[in-house]
Amino acid sequence: MRTAAAKRYTVRLAVTMIAYIGILFTVLSYIRGYDPQGSLRVLLSLLPALPVIGAIAVMGIYLIEETDEFIRARVAMSMLIGTGLVLSVATVLGFLQITDVVGQVEVFWAFPLWAIGWGLTQCVLNFRDSRAGGEA
Amino acid sequence: MKNRLRVLRAEREWSQQDLADRLEVSRQSVNAIEKGRYDPSLPLAFKIADLFELTIEQVFVNPAIEGKES
Repeated sequence: MRTAAAKRYTVRLAVTMIAYIGILFTVLSYIRGYDPQGSLRVLLSLLPALPVIGAIAVMGIYLIEETDEFIRARVAMSMLIGTGLVLSVATVLGFLQITDVVGQVEVFWAFPLWAIGWGLTQCVLNFRDSRAGGEA
Repeated sequence: MKNRLRVLRAEREWSQQDLADRLEVSRQSVNAIEKGRYDPSLPLAFKIADLFELTIEQVFVNPAIEGKES
């Protein structure tokens, strides 16, 4: 059963993701077509970040709005594991960069990696709960 | 935390979903609490006890006492 907060979260996240795709393609097309410079380029570069920041806010709002405390605790645990994954990868990459083993890595990937960590943890917890069973 | 939720539920012939609906939580929550994999907050523990017209101690086993007994 999906909670009411989870349903609202899904709709809100879908809106931010659609906005992200729309803005990203529009901005990239404009930059490739017109090659703007200066402050306009900076502004255009920042535009796709706004819906992603919105998505992060949506995730935070979901955590606040979720009234089912068990689900909320599970989501919070998954987010923490995602955060731990990002920090661990960043630390490992950082040391590899200090010793010139690895070159530049796009910091853009931090959020997707965090989301992947969250998602995978949710899958593991869902699997664990389904194995724990209980009648419907 | 060990508890008598499953027994109390069975006595009333409620499914986990029935109990979840009455408590306004998910079935996963009821399942996790029943199995002792999740300890409910104090407000939810009171809600559960109230639903069965019992005290919290009659529903949940005090871990401190359980530790002394074992």
